[in-house]
Amino acid sequence: MTEVPATPAAPSAGGARAPAGRSEWLPTALVFAVLVAGVVVAVAVTPNFLTVDNIRAILRNASIVGIVAVAMTPITLSGNFISLGTQQSAMAGCVVFVALVGSGWAPVFAIAVVLAALIAVGVAQGVVVAAGLNPVITTLAAGAIIFGVVADATNGGIVRVGAHPVSWGNSTIAGVPLEVLIFALFTVAVGLFMTRSVAGRRMTLAGSNKETAEVSGISFRAVTVGAFVIFSIGLAIAGVLTGAGFGQATIQSLGTLTIDALAAILVGGTAIVGGYGSPWRSAGGAVLIAVIANVMVLNDFSTGGRLAVQGAVVVVVVILLEILRRRGEVR
Amino acid sequence: MAALIADRARSYLLPVLVLVATWVIIASTTDTFRGEASVFSVLEGFPLLGLVALGLAITIIAGELDLSVGSMAALAGVVAVKTSSVGLVGALVIATAMGAAIGALQGGIIARLGINSLVLTVGTLILLRGVTYLASDNRPSQLTDFTVSDPLLERYGIFSASSITALVVFGVLGLFLAYTRYGREIYAIGGARDEARAAGVPRLRPMVVTFALSGACAALAGGLASLKGGSAAPQNYADLLLAGAAAALLGGISLYGGRGTVLNVALGVAVLSAVSAGLAARGSDASVTQLVTGALLISVVAIEFTATRLGRRAKLRREAAEREALPPPVPT
Repeated sequence: MTEVPATPAAPSAGGARAPAGRSEWLPTALVFAVLVAGVVVAVAVTPNFLTVDNIRAILRNASIVGIVAVAMTPITLSGNFISLGTQQSAMAGCVVFVALVGSGWAPVFAIAVVLAALIAVGVAQGVVVAAGLNPVITTLAAGAIIFGVVADATNGGIVRVGAHPVSWGNSTIAGVPLEVLIFALFTVAVGLFMTRSVAGRRMTLAGSNKETAEVSGISFRAVTVGAFVIFSIGLAIAGVLTGAGFGQATIQSLGTLTIDALAAILVGGTAIVGGYGSPWRSAGGAVLIAVIANVMVLNDFSTGGRLAVQGAVVVVVVILLEILRRRGEVR
Repeated sequence: MAALIADRARSYLLPVLVLVATWVIIASTTDTFRGEASVFSVLEGFPLLGLVALGLAITIIAGELDLSVGSMAALAGVVAVKTSSVGLVGALVIATAMGAAIGALQGGIIARLGINSLVLTVGTLILLRGVTYLASDNRPSQLTDFTVSDPLLERYGIFSASSITALVVFGVLGLFLAYTRYGREIYAIGGARDEARAAGVPRLRPMVVTFALSGACAALAGGLASLKGGSAAPQNYADLLLAGAAAALLGGISLYGGRGTVLNVALGVAVLSAVSAGLAARGSDASVTQLVTGALLISVVAIEFTATRLGRRAKLRREAAEREALPPPVPT
């Protein structure tokens, strides 16, 4: 009999960590290099790309997905993978907001209700996940339950604000659409939180090495619940902004949000196994995907073509980053 | 050996009880869910839900997860309908072979790069969906010659040709997983990957086989369902991931990898298709089915988690007692 050495139950998927330095900034630089390259190609092949209106349209499209991608990044960084119930929660927030405003509530109170409800749902999922249940399966199931409840409550119909449109729904501040501004502020806030605050650093440490984190007295439960709270805030913002902008909502609202947000995170190069990545990169990923989508719309590509290219970009970036990471380990 | 059999029996006990309970509840509240008709409608869940759940279960046993099954089924549906001029069997073989090939490629990438399967299959979930839209030209593809799919609609008592096909696949894969070297390797990498590697299980082969099987099962499911329905829409089957995972886990496939058999999957599929047949007979919306599926999924995962944790605590206590009994280790 050969003795099999007892391997510690450390997360082997991430492998040994490369030393800080080049490997720290390289992925971020890569994302922005790809982004710049994408813009250059876009300008070359698309005549109307570099107009103020079009740039504004791209940023508007990127903002909702970007807010959600940035908000999901702490979950991913803290080692809790991803949420497959993203669209359902944001949609629920959107429907509740529109329904409340439509029945005469002041938007401020409607926002408070949406925020409180989504944080409650998020904390519930966070507690379950922190206890050790698989986050992917938990959020998939929670999403299905939320979808079923909202579909039942709305009878699958359209909810409208009716006689109470939200005055700031489509407003701009100094020419910048509201959601773009909020996207920028939210990204800065979450980015600073993750890099400059003790709580944020703890989240990253928990995702990068759970055992070490626990030995140094970091509560995995607190970290996970915290990450889910940030995520829920982002979902509430996305839901409210969508509801306020369109003035109506159905269970199909924000239909591709889950896939788009995941694509943004992955293209941004945040490692799903935790520890690596940043909200900045997810925001960059969201903008990159919006640029690609925009170029394809301007060049008359179909839904299928857009999805295929988006998926291909995700697959290629994910594989490239993995190869780079392995190289970094070898050196 | 006796302990093994007892362990195996225990893993079937809970799903069997759940199946009996659901069956009794649904049969007593639904007039149409009785006798032969009820068995037939439950078996009709096997070609689509069952095959997808089977493929997913194999990836879960291997300690991975294939999120792209829904997109794969949709793509295979379009391919099967488009190639139906070569005949029913030919179209199904083409679709399934395509699924197996794409799956094998995914498995190869996952094994070679050591990439997390969630990451890659999120990407292919989007990519394959896009390819499906492209292949179908953004609109539902119709069968041109409806006689091609006639054999699938043939009914033999409680069976149909498509449910027989699905059950045969269940049987063959069950034997493959339980009695062949390739099949056992899948359990080995799911149960204890580092130990399996150390014991000489190859890095590449089990992962390729796992994802090829999952791709092939999803593709066959999509092909069967689309040919039977006479058309394939590119947006189809997005909910299959939820239902498939729910069925596999309901039946007692362990989310921690390395455990569970084809019989577990079959039990889970039977429970879930009884539930959806019952809800459909009562005129409930698809959204209610989703709600119930989600609730079932989260409860079964919670039950398994609690059971595992209690078991682990007992084991730790036992080991602590053993350590105290042993003399201290001698340095070599």
